[in-house]
Amino acid sequence: MQRSILGDLGILLGFFGLIWLIASLFSFYPEDPKFLSVEKETRLGETYLELVLLNPMFKEFENERVDSSIQSIGRRLEEGLGGSEYTYHFVVFQSDMINAFTLPGGNILISTGLIRFCDSAEELAAVMAHEMGHVEKRHVISRLVKELGIELLSSGDPYVLGEVTGMLTSTRFDRKQEEEADLFACELLERSHMEPRTLASVFRRLVQEEGNEFLEHFEIISTHPNFKSRIREVLSYEPGVDFHPIPIGLDWDSIRSQL
Amino acid sequence: MEYHPLPQPDEIEVRVKEDAMGAYLMMFATAALGLPLPILNLVAAMVYYFVNRDKGKFVQFHTLQSLYSQIPVTLLNSGLVAWVIVNLVKDFDFSSLFWGYLIMTGVADLIYFIFSIVGAVRARKGLFYYFLFFGKIAYHQVYRIGPERDPAYLVNRPPRV
Repeated sequence: MQRSILGDLGILLGFFGLIWLIASLFSFYPEDPKFLSVEKETRLGETYLELVLLNPMFKEFENERVDSSIQSIGRRLEEGLGGSEYTYHFVVFQSDMINAFTLPGGNILISTGLIRFCDSAEELAAVMAHEMGHVEKRHVISRLVKELGIELLSSGDPYVLGEVTGMLTSTRFDRKQEEEADLFACELLERSHMEPRTLASVFRRLVQEEGNEFLEHFEIISTHPNFKSRIREVLSYEPGVDFHPIPIGLDWDSIRSQL
Repeated sequence: MEYHPLPQPDEIEVRVKEDAMGAYLMMFATAALGLPLPILNLVAAMVYYFVNRDKGKFVQFHTLQSLYSQIPVTLLNSGLVAWVIVNLVKDFDFSSLFWGYLIMTGVADLIYFIFSIVGAVRARKGLFYYFLFFGKIAYHQVYRIGPERDPAYLVNRPPRV
């Protein structure tokens, strides 16, 4: 009897141990960014930001006037946001490319080329609001989790970190995510007392720049050729009846002359 | 090793059969409490065993089998709850090892659920139903004839020299 009982115990332990092993080895469970907390994402973002800024292509542009102007636009948008789990960092990097991209944890990088391209502080605010939409909707981390998995993403291996950083600087979102970020930007701009349809102006001018080699890395236009439908969507956004835009009040030409 | 003869269904009173069935149904009654605190299911099974164990060997067998099979399920579920809490508090990742454990615990709960239903139905009919491993332990413990369990076998012996 005792031998039979021990045999049964062996069968039970073997059966459940095998289930655990197989279920652990085959990651058929859904990789979902909600299993990666904002705090963790923020810590990852800090590491990635440091690594990105080490790359000569994304060298930080250090100019107090430009930096304080960007921060003041960012603060106004954050006020419009009315509270967020993220602490935003807007970093300007030296590049002629018309580019802006988002790293995990609320880190948004803006090229000097983009600042030069924007005709007003409101236009840059529209692009920044769009990028903040990717942050708040967790598009960046969703894409990374989907492509790499939480374990690899959290890896402390310097080589893996380097590769992930490379992917982050060329992230492309799908059409649905871009449209979500556009809508978010319109709502945020309205709440921040800025004209939401400025985003459409930026889009239109970007379309006119088609073929410009400085544009090829800009994720905001990555859904081309559906870009015109996005312009239509933004233009059809109707602010509330009590909406009154308040100018940002920066001497934009003077700021651009610092670049 | 000798065992007491097993009673046949027609020899067992309806009330006894119902008490035996209750051992398995106890799990469902405490399921709502057991979800956040799995240990409560085990406590309920223990209480049921100690309250009903004097109602004959048939009841004792089924309550003991239910109690024993509840132990590993409780440990697995408690481990899962603890793992989730630690991950959330310490901000650890939900690793593939965790997901594997979650799936294994789910399978164990499902098997336990099915076996409990079958056990309850069989007990209500006055039949024995042996779970793998736990059934044999419960049978061995309840029906075994041995000096330490059966007063008729108690004999005084001189000390060993």
